[in-house]
Amino acid sequence: MLSPERRTSMAERRPSFANFSGNSNHIDTLMVPHLAGIEDPLPETTPEKVDVLIAGTGLVESVLAAALAWQGSTVLHVDCNDYYGDSAATLTVDQIKNWVNRVNNNDIISYNNAKLYLSKSIGPSCKYASRDFGIDLSPKILFAKSDLLSILVKSRVHQYLEFQSLSTFHTYENDSFEKLTNTKQDIFTDQNLSLMTKRNLMKFLKFVLNWEEMPEIWQPYADKSITQFLFDKFKLDKPQVFELVFSIGLCCSIDTKVPLALHRIRRYLISYDVYGPFPVLYSKYGGAGEVSQGFCRSAAVAGATYKLNEKLYSYNPTTQVATFTDGSKVTVTEKIIMSPTQAPEGNQHIPDQKYEANRMVCLVEKDCKEWFSEDESAAVVVFPPGSLKSGNKHVVQTLILGAGSECCPQGTSIWYLSTTESGVRAEMDLDAALEALEISIVRESSNDITENNDIVKISEDGRPIVNSVRLGQSFKEYIPRESVQHLMKLSYTQYTSTPPFDVVNPALFDNDELNNRANSVNKFIPNASDNGIIYTAMPSSEISYDEVVTAAKVLYEKIVGSDDDFFDVDFEDEDNDTVPQGASVNGAISYENAIDDDDDDDVDMGIRGDDSNEFVGQMEI
Amino acid sequence: MLQFKLVLLGDSSVGKSSIVNRFVKDSFDEFRESTIGAAFLSQTVTINDNDSDVAQEITVKFEIWDTAGQERYKSLAPMYYRNANAALVVYDITQADSLEKARSWVQELKNKVDDDSLVIYLVGNKIDLVSNNNDDQDKRAVERSVAETYAEENNLLFSEVSAKTGEGIKQVFQSIAENLYQIRKKQDTTNINSTQRGNAPVDIHLQRPSTNDSTSCCS
Repeated sequence: MLSPERRTSMAERRPSFANFSGNSNHIDTLMVPHLAGIEDPLPETTPEKVDVLIAGTGLVESVLAAALAWQGSTVLHVDCNDYYGDSAATLTVDQIKNWVNRVNNNDIISYNNAKLYLSKSIGPSCKYASRDFGIDLSPKILFAKSDLLSILVKSRVHQYLEFQSLSTFHTYENDSFEKLTNTKQDIFTDQNLSLMTKRNLMKFLKFVLNWEEMPEIWQPYADKSITQFLFDKFKLDKPQVFELVFSIGLCCSIDTKVPLALHRIRRYLISYDVYGPFPVLYSKYGGAGEVSQGFCRSAAVAGATYKLNEKLYSYNPTTQVATFTDGSKVTVTEKIIMSPTQAPEGNQHIPDQKYEANRMVCLVEKDCKEWFSEDESAAVVVFPPGSLKSGNKHVVQTLILGAGSECCPQGTSIWYLSTTESGVRAEMDLDAALEALEISIVRESSNDITENNDIVKISEDGRPIVNSVRLGQSFKEYIPRESVQHLMKLSYTQYTSTPPFDVVNPALFDNDELNNRANSVNKFIPNASDNGIIYTAMPSSEISYDEVVTAAKVLYEKIVGSDDDFFDVDFEDEDNDTVPQGASVNGAISYENAIDDDDDDDVDMGIRGDDSNEFVGQMEI
Repeated sequence: MLQFKLVLLGDSSVGKSSIVNRFVKDSFDEFRESTIGAAFLSQTVTINDNDSDVAQEITVKFEIWDTAGQERYKSLAPMYYRNANAALVVYDITQADSLEKARSWVQELKNKVDDDSLVIYLVGNKIDLVSNNNDDQDKRAVERSVAETYAEENNLLFSEVSAKTGEGIKQVFQSIAENLYQIRKKQDTTNINSTQRGNAPVDIHLQRPSTNDSTSCCS
């Protein structure tokens, strides 16, 4: 139910709405959105008074801005940077250079320890131009069944974006991930699995799809780790457990608690086949940076005012006046929402940011096609705990993007590595993972193999040389003849108040006046420049977009009073060409049914054909 | 049907939106309602291809992106410019400095869009304020010849229009469509020999999820 105190929405305020209001039974879905500029002339100057001021154009802030603008709030959305995206930005190489300098001058709160190597191949009149690359500060993948995807479609923001599929999830194990070239084959249909293992695996997959309805199975393990649960309860072996927990669940450590891990494993499974035989999508031209730009544009279309290069100087909660560093002022009648990266000098209310995400980004002069499925241009590589020579305790997650993503030129790729490990150990783990990736790609793409198809070739002095690459199963002894050319290597530490792989804690947003009365922790501090400001949480190390909508909704409810009409926008133009093709939307359902219905066929597993379209069939078993 | 992305540029109050509004509403009234609320406006024009052996009618669909006010503080996102095929750069012939601002938008476009085949159309708006009647002649602040010379030097299409009366509006879009069609035709013939790109990525255009989408938080 809509709360009666709810502000009228933008659609309801339109003059044309009055014509229909006498006839309200007929217009329940007729919400004609406003198009700024075309229907109303835009104001000439910055508004003097707004309902909400949002600082920072990161993901949560941008989703929130669009939700509020469509709801009918007047929104001023600023960013102190000269680009969109803030902590979620997609940057060119030149922008990265500038960003690293600012981080190292302590000009950007929430980041430190930025290190950059840049080859001479990038620059004016060089082989590559700075803007050939789009580098994400928070690389993200989008699950096909997720709250953000629903919002993207509902808000029509997906029309500004182009998505591509990602089906390849490699798990690195025993110095190799060559056998894990394709999820559909390798995760479920390993020829080496015993029948008992297959049966146990199927039992688990059936359970996890509806795990919440079967508390009797997992409740006794609620405080235990997912690995223990899978070993004890489902008698699974380590390779299957690791693939389920780290590649499918994308969990960060073996200690991940059972309910969270089950939720994450299910997320992957229900996303599979929603739009095709893959669980995950990513946006072309840049990930989170593109998505936040899309929501900002949507907010602007609904009337929000945008201003880059604008930094808050201070806010006075008594007079409600916000002052910017350029001297301009605005009265904010309701709330100021701000990313920690945008905080004014003299701030004293930024929540503790005690969690680290350590990231490394490499631009590599290799197309890395060997790692992608056919017709795809991206892959996820997961290094489970203990798989690296650094003896990593935490997972290292890697997102590889090729030129097809339009984030880098032909013949190059972007490697995003991240870990929740901290300090020196994090650097060692990231370096070890980078080395493992390099050795692997050099071996798999070696010109020696393609040029000399024979295992034995004759050297110049007439002696036969054995091509060890083709003979060696393990490449522990392999000495690469060529090295991977790094065009750029960037590493940095990012801090957040959100625990790894968790969603935001709503209590974080309690730095507002209402709560100040009850909550002495966030009380008014004389001389602080940010009294009364609500801070958003920095992105966590989560590789999916899952935390974004939750965080935006919590904030929306704080401002509007209820989240009932969060993106309650119904556009009247129904493009008929958006009817789902085939039964793709029902794919996930048939997938679940498949597992339920066929019980005793699992002997077939791994023996059936490898046509990707038959994956659902292989799963049923 | 050919589809092209067209972006609008120019300072606020020169009448960018009114030009599009006039074009969209006037030319195809029956489509009007369906364009409101779309992420961008779309509108089609028909052109004739007389060069081919058989004369044929070509439908060209414009996906028109309005700035939605994001140009006011130079806050247009890279997304706005990306893959634009054509740009309409608008100035106000009754405001002296507005041509100067249009020039800086043209420069901005050339910096942001790395595509030589981008069609840029410079439009002087508000000729309704300058009738042939000599009494009103003083309202004109930008001489037609000045703008025309600038357009020629920079390889831009050019005309003066009135969004208010509709004069010249349809011709602007018609001419952009014809130019884009010729460029596309040339590209198609030159690309025939070099289209074997191989691993072309699959674009996934998201479909509307079914209404029983259990993860939707809004249902």
